[in-house]
Amino acid sequence: MNTIKELYAYRQMIFSLVKKDLRGRYKGSVLGFLWTFINPLFQLIVYTMVFSFILKSNIERYYLYLFVALIPWIFFSSSITVGAASVVAQKDLVKKIYFPRMVIPISYVTSCFVNMLLCFIVIFAVIIITGVGVNFVALLALPIIMLVEYILALGMAMLTSAVTVYFRDLEHILGIISMAWMYMTPIMYDKSIVPERLQPVFNINPMTHVIECYRSVLYEKSFPDLSSLFSAVALGVLFLMLGCLVFNKLQKHFAEEL
Amino acid sequence: MARNETAIEVNNITKNFKVYLDKGAQLKERLLFRKRNKYELRQVLKGISFTVKKGEAVGLIGHNGCGKSTTLKLLTRIMYPDSGSITMNGRVSSLIELGAGFHPDMSGRENIYTNAAIFGLTKKEIDARLKDIVDFSELEEFIDNPVRTYSSGMYMRLAFSVAINVDADILLIDEILAVGDANFQAKCFNKLKEIKAQGTTIVIVSHSLGQIEQICDRSIWIHEGLIRAEGPPKETDLEYLDYMGQKLQEHTKKELAEKKAEEEKKAAEAGEEAVQAQEEEEEENDNKRWGSGKARIKKITALTSDGAEQRVFRTGEDIVFRIDYTVKEKIPDAVVGIGIFNRDGVQCYGTNTRIDKLPEFELTKSGTAELVLKNVGLLAGEYLLDFAIETGDGIPVDYFREAYKIEMITRSGDVGISRIDHKWSI
Repeated sequence: MNTIKELYAYRQMIFSLVKKDLRGRYKGSVLGFLWTFINPLFQLIVYTMVFSFILKSNIERYYLYLFVALIPWIFFSSSITVGAASVVAQKDLVKKIYFPRMVIPISYVTSCFVNMLLCFIVIFAVIIITGVGVNFVALLALPIIMLVEYILALGMAMLTSAVTVYFRDLEHILGIISMAWMYMTPIMYDKSIVPERLQPVFNINPMTHVIECYRSVLYEKSFPDLSSLFSAVALGVLFLMLGCLVFNKLQKHFAEEL
Repeated sequence: MARNETAIEVNNITKNFKVYLDKGAQLKERLLFRKRNKYELRQVLKGISFTVKKGEAVGLIGHNGCGKSTTLKLLTRIMYPDSGSITMNGRVSSLIELGAGFHPDMSGRENIYTNAAIFGLTKKEIDARLKDIVDFSELEEFIDNPVRTYSSGMYMRLAFSVAINVDADILLIDEILAVGDANFQAKCFNKLKEIKAQGTTIVIVSHSLGQIEQICDRSIWIHEGLIRAEGPPKETDLEYLDYMGQKLQEHTKKELAEKKAEEEKKAAEAGEEAVQAQEEEEEENDNKRWGSGKARIKKITALTSDGAEQRVFRTGEDIVFRIDYTVKEKIPDAVVGIGIFNRDGVQCYGTNTRIDKLPEFELTKSGTAELVLKNVGLLAGEYLLDFAIETGDGIPVDYFREAYKIEMITRSGDVGISRIDHKWSI
């Protein structure tokens, strides 16, 4: 409880770190902040080319099918992989001055989250321009899905960023894990093609439900089956609590380990 | 708020540091070279307890590595104690690492916001303080320029201004008052006094006992991880200085004895004459020494007025120099001189027998000259001494640069090079 109160007091720091991160991301490049939009747009163009002409998929509008899943996934995976190094990256601050250490993973995940929101502008632009359109009722579910994903990502980032301080290899190991995790999540294909005996694995994976919900809102234009999100919410909260617990325990020796 | 309220309570804290002999940070290294994971536990704090009342100012003193900075780091919660507890009541601001989180490409104004945010201020609170911060830093004209264009003095001024305007209940300071020029330092110092008058609790770690005496109500002397003495700064600081002085003297004495022993050993091994020849050769090659060589300064010793050999003196003490010289060729009109230089190479004092209007004297055989410096006012620091023998027309016979080194310790907080005897009437 005290932690939450303190984090609230340091909200300005979180805000300024997020701003610094977003501004710093494309710093020095000519197009600057525009890259936030150009990047996903070109990604989309490449996928469209590949999957319309070369690797033809029998899923209708596969580029969009893939895209609405990929953008949330990128948010999640960068939160845990790059987020893992976030505390180490801020070691100068950690060693020199006191502030609630959780500010670091929170601001990193938040900045990734804001980045994802900006990418959603591209998604919506594509949906409208290509005439797919939106279902406004279904859209109401979108913030809930995003929130669930945010909690999941934050919990993971807390866990990984704290452990990485003591064990730097984790950052690289996570690169591999996140790749495997991506293929264990129905992002490039439909869950229905997964063999029966592997289905339980997919069901345990909270990201499966999150991705399917995104897809249902943005691709199928139908209100998602939020009940499937329950397990994701439960897991998300569990991760977050575990993440906080581990982080709190480990952070006491950050200054000495860095 | 009640004056007796406790602001800081430190209860029997200990802190160990692991000193790795050769640490592997990667899994591979950790598994392959398990032996390398050996470390030594160094206990820096061995159980320290003290309480600081609200509005009190406390100074932590002690020699390097005694654990005073570690104590301060534990108070800021950058690190945590291994055992024991620390309770801090109120908002803490630390002037430990100034300018943490400054971004060189952002303007001074933006950096004020980022830096103040790190102290836990909200945007509204920063807005309210912005004017004070900028005014205090005296950087109005430059506040919208990127910080990378600032000089280091400007940088520190900005950082200090932010930290001191946080309006903390507890202010922790580590060797801070070395910011900017003398004017700004005085300003910082006054600001600190003002803040203290407003009821802020202050903990200072400093080597400048003078500053501690001026601001603090109490000094805590930490020695080898334990509190050795505690009390009004005037008394505790004196106790500490006495101890430090003794220790320094012991140390230099030991060094002297070792040197002597070594020389004696050498002499015994090679025979007196060989050593002397060698010594002379060495001296010839020394570019810190020049002159005709008709006479040579053989040995210089510094003594207290009681005649004890010593290299550490207190400001205000008498210092006696004994200069042993050898003469190879008669010098009819000799002049002997001394020059005292501080670490920056500034000459603090110099005189010789001609300046003092002593008659030129004849040097015919080896002997000893003695010089007594009365009430030496030189302030704390190391001083290098030049000694010289010259002829009456100023031709060096043996000019020995940096021939000797002494150290001065000062109890009061005077600044400058030398104390000037003074009296106020106000």
